[in-house]
Amino acid sequence: MGSWSVGNWPSFDPHNFSQLRPNDPSKKTPITYHPTHERTLPPPDQVISSEAKNILLRQFYQRGDEKLRPKRAAPENLAPEQECKHPRASVASSSEPPK
Amino acid sequence: MYRRRHNITARIFDRQIHTPPPGTSVHRARRFYENIVPSSTIYDVECPDHSFRKFTEDGKYLISFSRNHQELIVYRPTWLSFSCKQEDCDSQDLPQKAKKFESFFTQLYSVPLASANELICKDFFLYAESNQFGLFATSTAQIYDAPATGGAIQGVPSIEKITFHLLRLEDGVVLDERVFCNDYINLAHSMGVFIFDDLLAIVSLRYQRIHILQIRDSGSLVDLRAIGEFCREDDELFLNSSTQASADKRGPQHLLSNNIVNVPRTEQPAQESPFLSGIKQRLLSFIVRGIQNEEKDETLRIQTLKKKFYFHFQDYVDLIIWKVQFLDRHHLLIKFGSVDGAVSRNADSHPAFFAVYNMESTEIIAFYQMSSEELYLLFEQYCDHFHIPSKSSPYMNFISSHSNNIHALEQLKSSKNKATSFPLFIKKVLVSLPFNCQSQSPSPYFDQSLFRFDEKLISAADRHRQSTDHPIKFILRRPPHTLKFKIKPGPEAGVTDCRTKRISSFLFHPILPLALSVQQTLFLQPAVVNIHFRR
Repeated sequence: MGSWSVGNWPSFDPHNFSQLRPNDPSKKTPITYHPTHERTLPPPDQVISSEAKNILLRQFYQRGDEKLRPKRAAPENLAPEQECKHPRASVASSSEPPK
Repeated sequence: MYRRRHNITARIFDRQIHTPPPGTSVHRARRFYENIVPSSTIYDVECPDHSFRKFTEDGKYLISFSRNHQELIVYRPTWLSFSCKQEDCDSQDLPQKAKKFESFFTQLYSVPLASANELICKDFFLYAESNQFGLFATSTAQIYDAPATGGAIQGVPSIEKITFHLLRLEDGVVLDERVFCNDYINLAHSMGVFIFDDLLAIVSLRYQRIHILQIRDSGSLVDLRAIGEFCREDDELFLNSSTQASADKRGPQHLLSNNIVNVPRTEQPAQESPFLSGIKQRLLSFIVRGIQNEEKDETLRIQTLKKKFYFHFQDYVDLIIWKVQFLDRHHLLIKFGSVDGAVSRNADSHPAFFAVYNMESTEIIAFYQMSSEELYLLFEQYCDHFHIPSKSSPYMNFISSHSNNIHALEQLKSSKNKATSFPLFIKKVLVSLPFNCQSQSPSPYFDQSLFRFDEKLISAADRHRQSTDHPIKFILRRPPHTLKFKIKPGPEAGVTDCRTKRISSFLFHPILPLALSVQQTLFLQPAVVNIHFRR
């Protein structure tokens, strides 16, 4: 009876589910949300691909770029005599822009 | 709280109904090795007198060399075929005829690799798993105090002829050979050669070149590039053509100054170029740019450059390539050091530096000292990326290291806390970089999350160790923390003569519960070989 028999589903006793009343048909599916803004759209030329370099090489490149960037006065020293502890925060990978 | 059952049958039933957490299928499969252990031992098995080197990583072959270092013998690991018709088979001991070497290994072939005056380097063996090719090395005797001719570095010994043989292990056919004459390549523990997929990096210490070769599927070795003096393939052509042009201009002047004695010249004298070329130039320019960028102020910059670079300039120029490994197909990790350290046994006392080099763009990406904290932090976090993953067998990526195993990490951290000086600790840890290729056994019995064992007596690294009389215990990490099996090298009754030093080496099959322990004295007596297996 009702929506159960609409599908012609097999059952042992066709009188089963005869008391069943379907849901209120006016409240069937909620409306799909469509965003009213465009902030979440990806840029039109975006290409998603996997990074060829593994994470270790990415770290090497990142640190190398930091050292060779002319504007930044890097606190790290490469000299044989002086070794100072640099703060661990420089490891932060969140500073790297997503590629 | 679901209590994990230890009984193997119960575990098999659990496996049928429970799905493992995502990404842990190898770990889950490995847990069965807690139940299947090589607990039985056949002591002092009668076997041919060869020096057994190792099992290949896929477990298909056992590589061994004859005592006279001239032949290669390859065995196929099999298993006992022995049936018992009695009622209570488990308590029955194996019959004598089953306790043989041949029960577990069938000889496939024996190939002579070394000719008359050559010897096979029995420490050297590399396996190209995808094609089942094996790389072996034969060499003639070493000549110390060799003169530095033809671009060679003074102080590095010379070997008249080193030959690398590429063999197909299925049938023992020699597919290709590569000969290096009057060169020196560190063959002990395969230190001077690194294999990654189908790429080979061979470090010629004497001529300071890194030869990159490719192993083709057909079995031929193809030269890709030689890094050292020249970085790109056409550098040599370009430089030769320009020196040729300048030599022609200088020619007549040379003869004028030497008109007294007409010295016959059989070869063109080496051009003493004031410019450093090749990888040395790349390295020094990277160092200079790094130091330059530290200071914004112009005068301070010059001061810093003087202090940190020009003062040590000659030391930097004198650096030579010690060792190389691949980080991926395009990047190399190169260890630089002084000439004295390259050939000495105790390389720890000599200063060393690490550089990351991109072969395609011929740029140096990074440069670190031996005691660099930055490099240590990267090593602590990403140790597995230094052991580059192999695509062919997934379980090779699960060798316990302190980056993938909490117990190994705890061990590292505790020794870090116990260390008196942090830079010295870093030096001690980083001395293992670049890694020796294929030097760790992938056997699950060395997995730190499954078993606990004494690392000084036995570990995944294949090197000889001091032998003790006591059996080496393997205890479960997980509850119930029981002793699962013991490995005892040497004869069953123990050794009566305690004065002679004994060394043991262990060969674990990567998949089967099978292990060989070989105990040797230093006096070329026949070795005592025990087979440890699961009954």
